[in-house]
Amino acid sequence: MSNTDLSNIEVNQKPVAKRSNPFANVFNELVSFCRSRSMFMLHYCTGCGAIELPPAMTSRFDMERLGIQPMVTPRQADILLITGYVSIKTLKRVILTYEQMGAPKYVIGICSCTVNGGMYWQSYATAKKLDEYIPVDLYIAGCMPRPEAVIEGLQQLMAKIKTDEANSWKKYYEHYDYYLGNQQHLFGNNWQTPTDIIGEAKTYQLEGPNTLGEHTKILESVQRPLEPLEMKL
Amino acid sequence: MRPENYQAVNHPPSNEYELNFGPNHPGIEGNYALKVKLQGDTVVEARADAGYLHRGFEKLMEDRLWIQNISLVPRICVPDPVPMEVCYSLAVEELAGLELPERAQWLRVLQLELSRIAAHLFYFGGHAATTGMYTPMYWGVADRDLLLDLFEELTGGRVYSIYNMPGGVRQDIPRGFLQRLSDTLDYIEGRLKDYDNLFFTNQIFVKRAKGIGIISQEQALEWSVTGPNLRACGLEFDVRRDDPYLIYDQLKFDIPTEHGGDAWARTLVRRLEMVESISIIRQVIKALPDIKGPVRTPIPNPLAWRVPAGDSYARVESSKGELAYYVVSNGGDKPYRVHIRGPSAMHAVQVLEKLAVGCRVEDVAQTMFSLDACPPEVDR
Ligand code: SF4
Repeated sequence: MSNTDLSNIEVNQKPVAKRSNPFANVFNELVSFCRSRSMFMLHYCTGCGAIELPPAMTSRFDMERLGIQPMVTPRQADILLITGYVSIKTLKRVILTYEQMGAPKYVIGICSCTVNGGMYWQSYATAKKLDEYIPVDLYIAGCMPRPEAVIEGLQQLMAKIKTDEANSWKKYYEHYDYYLGNQQHLFGNNWQTPTDIIGEAKTYQLEGPNTLGEHTKILESVQRPLEPLEMKL
Repeated sequence: MRPENYQAVNHPPSNEYELNFGPNHPGIEGNYALKVKLQGDTVVEARADAGYLHRGFEKLMEDRLWIQNISLVPRICVPDPVPMEVCYSLAVEELAGLELPERAQWLRVLQLELSRIAAHLFYFGGHAATTGMYTPMYWGVADRDLLLDLFEELTGGRVYSIYNMPGGVRQDIPRGFLQRLSDTLDYIEGRLKDYDNLFFTNQIFVKRAKGIGIISQEQALEWSVTGPNLRACGLEFDVRRDDPYLIYDQLKFDIPTEHGGDAWARTLVRRLEMVESISIIRQVIKALPDIKGPVRTPIPNPLAWRVPAGDSYARVESSKGELAYYVVSNGGDKPYRVHIRGPSAMHAVQVLEKLAVGCRVEDVAQTMFSLDACPPEVDR
């Protein structure tokens, strides 16, 4: 593990600059509202929690009435649902998927296993805390959480989006060095993904003091362009 | 289906390309991947890529008390968790020489069959979705939820009940449970007609599923195919009847078989099995009030329970096929070694790899679903 602990680092919460133009404020609020009301969800069935999603999505509990629908490609999805324990092999794909999603993106960790390892706290094959590898907006604890809990969690996320509080995706850019460090610790120093996070951070102007650091130096020294077929994980 | 000795061309022709099917793919059951090589839209080679759900179960179980493992085992196969608990308990009981009270045996059969119906409802919902029919999925999952409600009432847990333990079951049934159970069964039985119209005899499905992924009987035996997939090849083999455990020898039920060996036959066998399971549960409901006695043989202090040294092997018929546990004890308070023989490990790896060859790319998902493999159990 990299020795910085992120739990007490706060996201650089720049309050949404109140513009002098009242129409711009109204427009921002409208955008947040619409965003929270039509979300596409990419659920990566990483673990057993996935079994409670079909009931939550289908006729009985019906997630669609909240405007949430499953989506099949990461690039068009807004929410990434991680449903349960992430084994190390899966974690690579999770990170890859996460980085491909377009901002703003939200991550929900369903199940105790994403919080602290849950039942598999001493397993050699699972990553214990999801938060060390990608930032998480919301956890839904339980082993496994009931569909009602899943829906309640999604409603909380909607409320957070409406008030512009679900900003974990900014945290990924601002503290990229930390996340990359943990990823390198697990996958080795050769770890690289096709997405250029540092470049994106510069474009979005989300570069913070912790975006670059010792780990990104390692990345730069090993990074080379990947051939299309080379992304064999 | 290509013949067994089919050899793919070694140097890839220019029109061949590789497609990653999964792990995050709507046509894949859970977290599982297939790497397929395509020529046009025909699959010429398929490689299963498992391990996304590996947790090291067999190792974890060596590290926990005999009784703690009960809460671990249902996680092995998520859609059908009850057989896992029952089978492990049976193996431990045999090892410890525990006598299982009769009432507990009936209650176990009740759960096993309920779980089988739930798993089959879930299964054909998923299978329908791979052929582009979403209504059966919505209906199937919603009806399965009624069964989960019964599980919740009986055990306290919707999916993972953790109701069985070495020596019996945790507690007796709640008052009025049997009535509610039989009401739900009536409802589900009535629904089966709708499912027939909507799905099983629907030409959209029949035309898609017939002739897909054919397994012959010899191949099935060679590839250790078990359960409904084996019975779809015409072989009448069921652990419940041929090596009876619990009180299955006192129950009357048929073993449905089909002869096609294709995806359609496999679906049909499961459809017929649901009827049998309903009739088994009805027999249990009828017999249960007359069977008195405890539901559990007490075990000594569970936190320091030492099971005598030895080994045991127990097998049950789960909704996916034959499931077995091999448990070794060296006289300690934890298992020395547990090995799990799961049906899906065979179905999803060696069988699927062979069946997928020759399929069109849109039928790969259907082939996988028709085998009803359960990825967490492949990886364990
Ligand atoms: S918290 Fe429980 S249900 Fe969820 S992934 Fe972990 S073991 Fe499975």
